[in-house]
Amino acid sequence: MRVPHGWLGEFLGDALPSVERTVELLDGLGLAVETVHRLAAAPSSVVVADVTEVEPIEGSEHLVRAVAHDGAREVQVVCGAPNARVGVRSALALPGAELPGAGFTVGEREMLGVASRGVLASPRELGLFDYGGGIIEFGGDVPLGAPLEELWPAESVIELELTPNRGDAFSVLGVARDLAAKLRSPLHLPGEAARAGDPEADDGLSLEILDAAACPRFTLRLIEGVTVGPSPVWLQRRLAALGLRPRNNVVDVTNYVTFELGQPSHAYDRRVLEGGVLQVRRARPGERVTLLDEETYELDGEDLVIATPSQDGGSRAVGLAGVMGGLHDSVVADTATVALEVAHFDPVVVRKAAKRHRLSTDAHYRFERGVDPNLPPRASARAAALIAELAGGRVHPGLTEQGGDTARPAIRFRPSQVHFLMALDVPLSEQRTSLEGLGCAVDEAGDDRWTVTPPSWRFDLAIEEDLIEEVARVHGYEHIGVSVPAMHFVPPIHDPTHRRLKEALADMGLQETLNYVFTGPDELARAGAPAASVTLSNPQGVERSVLRTALYPGLLAAAALNRGTPSLALFEVGHVFLDGGEEDRVAMLWRGPWSRGVWRGDLPLDFFVAKGVLESLAARMGAELRSEPCEAPFLHPGVSARLRWQDEDVGVLGRLHPEVAARFDLDEVYLAELRLPLPEGRIRYREIRRQPYAERDVALVVPDEVSYAELAAMVRAAAGADLESLEPFDVYQGEQVAAGMRSVALRLRFRLAERALTDEEVDGHMHNVMKAVRDAGYDIRA
Amino acid sequence: MLEEALAAVRAAATLQELQDVRVRYLGKKGVLTRELKGLGALPPEERREAGKAINERKAAVEAAIQERREALERRALDEQLAGERVDVTLPGTALASGGLHLLTLVTHRLLDVFTALGYEVAVGPELETDHYNFGALNFPEEHPARDEQDTFWTTDGRLLRTHTSPMQVRYMETHEPPFKVVVPGKVFRNEAVDATHEAQFNQLEALVVGERITMADLRGAIDEMATALFGKGTRTRLQPTFFPFVEPGAEFAIYWTHPRTGREEWLELGGCGMVHPNVFEAVGYRGVTGFAFGFGIERLALVPYGIPDIRAFYQGDLRVLRQFRGAL
Repeated sequence: MRVPHGWLGEFLGDALPSVERTVELLDGLGLAVETVHRLAAAPSSVVVADVTEVEPIEGSEHLVRAVAHDGAREVQVVCGAPNARVGVRSALALPGAELPGAGFTVGEREMLGVASRGVLASPRELGLFDYGGGIIEFGGDVPLGAPLEELWPAESVIELELTPNRGDAFSVLGVARDLAAKLRSPLHLPGEAARAGDPEADDGLSLEILDAAACPRFTLRLIEGVTVGPSPVWLQRRLAALGLRPRNNVVDVTNYVTFELGQPSHAYDRRVLEGGVLQVRRARPGERVTLLDEETYELDGEDLVIATPSQDGGSRAVGLAGVMGGLHDSVVADTATVALEVAHFDPVVVRKAAKRHRLSTDAHYRFERGVDPNLPPRASARAAALIAELAGGRVHPGLTEQGGDTARPAIRFRPSQVHFLMALDVPLSEQRTSLEGLGCAVDEAGDDRWTVTPPSWRFDLAIEEDLIEEVARVHGYEHIGVSVPAMHFVPPIHDPTHRRLKEALADMGLQETLNYVFTGPDELARAGAPAASVTLSNPQGVERSVLRTALYPGLLAAAALNRGTPSLALFEVGHVFLDGGEEDRVAMLWRGPWSRGVWRGDLPLDFFVAKGVLESLAARMGAELRSEPCEAPFLHPGVSARLRWQDEDVGVLGRLHPEVAARFDLDEVYLAELRLPLPEGRIRYREIRRQPYAERDVALVVPDEVSYAELAAMVRAAAGADLESLEPFDVYQGEQVAAGMRSVALRLRFRLAERALTDEEVDGHMHNVMKAVRDAGYDIRA
Repeated sequence: MLEEALAAVRAAATLQELQDVRVRYLGKKGVLTRELKGLGALPPEERREAGKAINERKAAVEAAIQERREALERRALDEQLAGERVDVTLPGTALASGGLHLLTLVTHRLLDVFTALGYEVAVGPELETDHYNFGALNFPEEHPARDEQDTFWTTDGRLLRTHTSPMQVRYMETHEPPFKVVVPGKVFRNEAVDATHEAQFNQLEALVVGERITMADLRGAIDEMATALFGKGTRTRLQPTFFPFVEPGAEFAIYWTHPRTGREEWLELGGCGMVHPNVFEAVGYRGVTGFAFGFGIERLALVPYGIPDIRAFYQGDLRVLRQFRGAL
């Protein structure tokens, strides 16, 4: 929302502070200032001139020789504008004028043999507003020969970023009202004297409101005998400052009032109102209407339209209510009688229609945020009087109207609550003045029991807290103090963000990465991850259309991206989205040597290094980690393990399946993906064993498919309770053992807490181990 | 004889040769040992003198051997050390060196601040329902306030949370006041992605509810955070604004010295306010007040390190990620 600073002066008079101070006040009131535009004045060496002669130039289809007269001299120019016609009052840029929108300095030159001693300029060339389709047109209000820079001075325009609750502030009036309350100065309402129409007077118009809920208020007023023409320069300037393009003195007034009072309106040519009837109804599904943007829309049954009776006895839509008027029904060059619609529409109906047809207009923006429902008669009087003033003609005394004023429910208000909630001391008199300044009616029913009735334009005021904010806002948030609540709360200490895990992994040499939760179905398939269970209905492209079902595909993408890095160890902690719900996970990826020796060789990475990282992690958490062979679609079938953490299945570790690796142009990659939180182990103190231990080694020859875990379990069981530890110290496969077999050398350590073991006892345990091994059918290697 | 022995000691080139010399002169059958044994053959009046002379020669040889041994040992050690010399200017063996993502580091720092101030840390789901993300937070149906939070919807009518505020409702549903809680987490907005806008980013939300919490307490909490982050004397500013789930509402800024430009300026950080009565009603709280504030974490990572493009956070390029291993 743009607010020209000078325009605020019409409402605030001398109380209006400087631009800088106004910006401060607005920010402090919650009408956040996004920026201040410093609009330049019109360029110098440009004067007002009439076009007095126009004549085609031989050899050119669109260039003409025109003569411009500024009251003192005649200047011949060559011009290509379609609206360069005799009688047009426009702007003549003389040699030396610098046109900011054209990027050149006007000079004298010759075109097609015709001397051109100036330029009839378009608004865009002049840098005034964005229209380059013709030369600027003025009305009789500007005198011939007047320097344009005096008529069109520089201006500061404050651009506000308004919050959606403040529909009332989408007008200069609304912004000025907040300022007036803050400055405690009176608010002047322009055009207040305009006569409201008389509903009894016959203007030959009638209304058929078929959906009063969607259109609670509708007014129509006639302005007769108008002459459509360019708006006066002050109005053109105002609209240009708002970023609008001036069109003509009728349409411009409706736009002006939209910004001045916040009330959208629409001007019809009276001739299109068949029988003087205007209808408001829901559209017929499939009904079509062509709107002012020259697009034709196919309507939905929920759309609210303005319609006129058609010759076939039905009715046809002429506008999309609250959004945009129709192309063929609006004011045109020869309109003599204007029918001015000023109405109120339901915010949700307007919002849905605008969304449905992807339209965003000044009108819809205001209606969906809420326009003052009691404003139409006053806005109608204001706009009608302005049209009559600027376009000639006279306002018909009658007013055709449906619906009436509404009041907002009163709110119980305790002024003491301002202190209770805000810790602000605001005197009662100031509280009252502030609320009244904002348009509220205040009834001090009793001590700390006020009844406050918000004005019809403040939809956002419904409860006591809303009023507290109003009082505090006007008083100034800068007065809010600083305190610390006394509170008996002992926060539980836990780690829901998995901070300790992340820090442990970083300590152990893994770099954290973060990926998007959205990915593509193809990307999941490429990585061999489960198909998505959650799909977005409005994604940013198909490659971001589903939610991830695993973290490792993101790590694979990162590995592929960092292919040039020789050694990679990555992890991510994040959510995955499965049929069963959302799950916390950690994934890890290793590629390349685990550590880089550079000139003395690298420490190669394999499954066991990766497993060692997880074992270290488990050890840090006092947890027991076991693994067993498993099958996972994305892992190498021979190098994949299911991990049991404190006997809980938490996920898998393995080598990426070579087929998947090839799809990412990767070679040997190891991955782990675990569910979080990982169960913590319980740590108990164990007495240190001080007695000497006895160690024995034994090498078993077993078939390949017998896992170490099975072997160890068997040996442990046979060795008995005196066995302190068991370690494989060599695993061998090759010429020394038969094909399909491997030799596993074990080191057994025996120890008792209370005394030294005798050789006989240890020999006895070893005998049992040998027996168990032989009973299982395995050989003992000499 | 003595000169000969001393010369032999000096000539010994190794510890072994020295040992041989020692045996030759001082061993059981050594020259000096034999001389001592031969003392008995001398007349008693000469024995004393002769014995003294032999012992002096023996001591001289022993001393020479000792000296020579030390020299030889020192030389052996020197040779060993010289042989063990390495070129210390060659690069070391790189251990795998990991690190945390900058956003995690910044989040941890914030959580340190808030846990030190007595807040609990909680987290919540990223896939949310309309109820928790909007309805229970007092966003009316079909209200333009919803447009401000461009939402990713799922085909089954759920959504990716647009802010961490749904956790206000979830936390209150499962806890009783008084409490102080902070919620960090990912949030999602379906807006055009550019150097300053991401579809996925992080927020931190604080919620404090008690019997008599005021807006001054809110300001105090923001002041404490600002002081913890940026040092004593940091100023804060509240300005009115609108969020459906707070009333009164404000946006807050911290006056800081821009770590890169050195300029003092307001850093617009986030939104805050007193918890809206409708939110309390949605979770069945009565007779309490509370405040909430929330802000984006990315800015606190982007601005201090001068990172020009927010998209760098999710591109997984190690050349970027590894720069921040020692950050904060």
